[in-house]
Amino acid sequence: MSEPIPTPEEETSAATPDFRPTKRWNIVWVVPILALLIGSWLVYQNFKAKGPVVEIRFETAEGIAAGKTEVRCRSVRVGYVKHVELAEDLKSVIIKAELDPEAENLLRRGTRFWVVRPRVSASDISGLGTLITGAFIELDPGQGKDTVSEFVGLETPPATNTNIPGRRLILEAETAGSLAPSSPIYYRGFEVGRIESRRLAKDGSKVIYDAFIKEEYSHLVTENTRFWNSSGIDISAGADGFKVRTPSFQAMVTGGAVFGVPEGMPSGAIVKDGENFTLYQDEDAAQKSTFNPTLRFLLQFDQSVRGLSKGAPVEFRGIVIGRVVDISFNYYTDSSVDDRRIPVLIEIDPYQLRRETADKMSAPNSDFLAKAVGNGLRAALKTGSLLTGAMYVDLDFYKDQPVAALGKAGNITTLPTVSSGLAQLEAKITAILDKIQALPLDDTVRNFSLAAETSQATLKEIQDTAAAARKTLEDPEFRQLPTDVRKTLDELQKSVSSVGPDGAIQGDLLRTLDELRASLRSIKAMTNSIDEKPNSLLFGKDSTGNPIPKAPRR
Amino acid sequence: MKDILASAEELPRGIDQNLAGCHICGKASPTSLEHCPRCGSHLHLRKPHSIQRTLALLAAAAIFYIPANLLPIMTIVEVGEVTKATIIEGMINFWKAGAYPIAIVIFTASILIPLLKIIALCWLCAAASGRLHPSPKALSRIYLITELLGRWSMVDIFVVGILVALAQLGNYMTVTIGPGALAFGCVVIVTMFSAMSFDPRLLWDRMLAEQSQSSNHPQPLERTDPNS
Repeated sequence: MSEPIPTPEEETSAATPDFRPTKRWNIVWVVPILALLIGSWLVYQNFKAKGPVVEIRFETAEGIAAGKTEVRCRSVRVGYVKHVELAEDLKSVIIKAELDPEAENLLRRGTRFWVVRPRVSASDISGLGTLITGAFIELDPGQGKDTVSEFVGLETPPATNTNIPGRRLILEAETAGSLAPSSPIYYRGFEVGRIESRRLAKDGSKVIYDAFIKEEYSHLVTENTRFWNSSGIDISAGADGFKVRTPSFQAMVTGGAVFGVPEGMPSGAIVKDGENFTLYQDEDAAQKSTFNPTLRFLLQFDQSVRGLSKGAPVEFRGIVIGRVVDISFNYYTDSSVDDRRIPVLIEIDPYQLRRETADKMSAPNSDFLAKAVGNGLRAALKTGSLLTGAMYVDLDFYKDQPVAALGKAGNITTLPTVSSGLAQLEAKITAILDKIQALPLDDTVRNFSLAAETSQATLKEIQDTAAAARKTLEDPEFRQLPTDVRKTLDELQKSVSSVGPDGAIQGDLLRTLDELRASLRSIKAMTNSIDEKPNSLLFGKDSTGNPIPKAPRR
Repeated sequence: MKDILASAEELPRGIDQNLAGCHICGKASPTSLEHCPRCGSHLHLRKPHSIQRTLALLAAAAIFYIPANLLPIMTIVEVGEVTKATIIEGMINFWKAGAYPIAIVIFTASILIPLLKIIALCWLCAAASGRLHPSPKALSRIYLITELLGRWSMVDIFVVGILVALAQLGNYMTVTIGPGALAFGCVVIVTMFSAMSFDPRLLWDRMLAEQSQSSNHPQPLERTDPNS
């Protein structure tokens, strides 16, 4: 077709070189094939260079400009923001970023994005470079395997990169307190890690922190480790005066967490990444948290539980062995029963008692508790603090209680209870009052008045006697009595002095003695004569014959 | 023979006398010599495989035309801001910015002209191979336009070249050439070669042949007379 000369006379001029039968396909067709190859290679290169597009959701697109803001990983540019748009719900923005093809493997599960803006906070100053260059989006590659293309960006930068080796833990707290991202974590007062981020649990029941412990200290976090908040100043007043405990200055300003193993506890095995820990409000709470409740009981109190709150301690004779979990009528599953006793669910860590006891208690089908109840084990509500009226549950053995046994409410074992505390006191006082009322008070009172009257008379007599006595005493004669007494005494003294060795009495006495001696001598002679002649007393010494009886005198 | 010449052409054609003009120096020599006696280059009555070459190059140009418009022609890095622009994007940006004349110039030089050139050459090829039967006036006008347009289709490459050379301000602004520019350059070059490889004399050969065929049969014979 490309035969340049179509005229028929060509055959005649065979000498000319132009009329060779030409090849149907000329070599020139290589050119479009080449063009096709080059063109498709160019297109392929370009689309290959287009890299993956990711969607990142942020609360605000402040400082982010489409086509301008870069995505960086460790300050290396790996992509740029292609498009910024509002989310359908208008509550967030969706940023579409195109990453370099080499960065595709950075888009793994767990990859985090955040906007680097200039930030000045109490704990650090960062991103000042972005004042000049403008904000950029930092990418922190995750550890996941699968590729993800939609992410939710972090509003605040994490304190540490995920590729920095270390232990990453989750702390759960009741309230956030002053603990915030980038707050330090201390071990024995030494900074070993940081709080990376905090968020509210999906159901809003707790605050969840992501904590990071540096690699060299990660072995310090073990199974029995407790975390607690050390923010702020702790002032406590006790018997030994005021005590002020302060953490480091930084922790005072930004808050901080401390961890440690409670005293007397084995530390346990080293934990893995992602382990959950409870963040206690303070050190005391952490120390008290060593129990691991394994048994649950339902207590049914036939009295008001006012003052008893969830978390109130359960004690056995003063030893805390558990706590109140819940107070709710919902534990009565059988609606037909009209039970007005208040159900209180408690949990107990039997290992707070003796180990053997605990083993016995925890053993399945053990009759340990049943026996204990048979021996009088009862639960009672007691007032823990008269000031606050807070109650606690006390377990103790009570004598003289009506026989009771373990029961079942739904699938929870119930422990028998006794009314105690104020209720018991009330009952006792009532009993006392009843007894008082039963006393024959009227008779007693009458007797009392009689006795009183009698005693009044007696008193009067006593009074009279006293008056008489007084009169006697006031009598002048009586008054003279002492003088007389003295006189008598003087005389007595005189008499006594006369008795003395030079006194007249002494002489008299000697003389009397002499006479007595003489008398005795004569008595002796008399007795001798009697000895010799016993009838001499009647007939004299020389008497002869028989005595002549005499007639009675008239 | 005289009347034929008078009716068709005043003078006998070189092809009719087996005289070929040298491609290089333009000397007319008999084709039997095979080589130009003056400069020694090959002698051809017409450009060999002209239409096939033209068409092949046109196909290549058409292929290149696609990436040239799809891919960014240049990348501007301005204070950390990276802008990649294809030809059409650049044109739209100029249009939006209100620079209508520039937009029109870019549109004409970069999109319209290469496209028109490709279409025109195709049309000429079709005419030369006897598939179209246009009037000689239209043929000459279109050929003229093709020749004219070809000179201006390098505008874009020229602009990019200047920008790349001038706008190298370190971190503040850098312009780098994009893959689209390469494709676009290829389009321009290939169409130029295509236009070069096209032998316009074929058009008149074909027209003459058709005229003679349509009017009377002996005409071509008479035309061959001088050759024999």
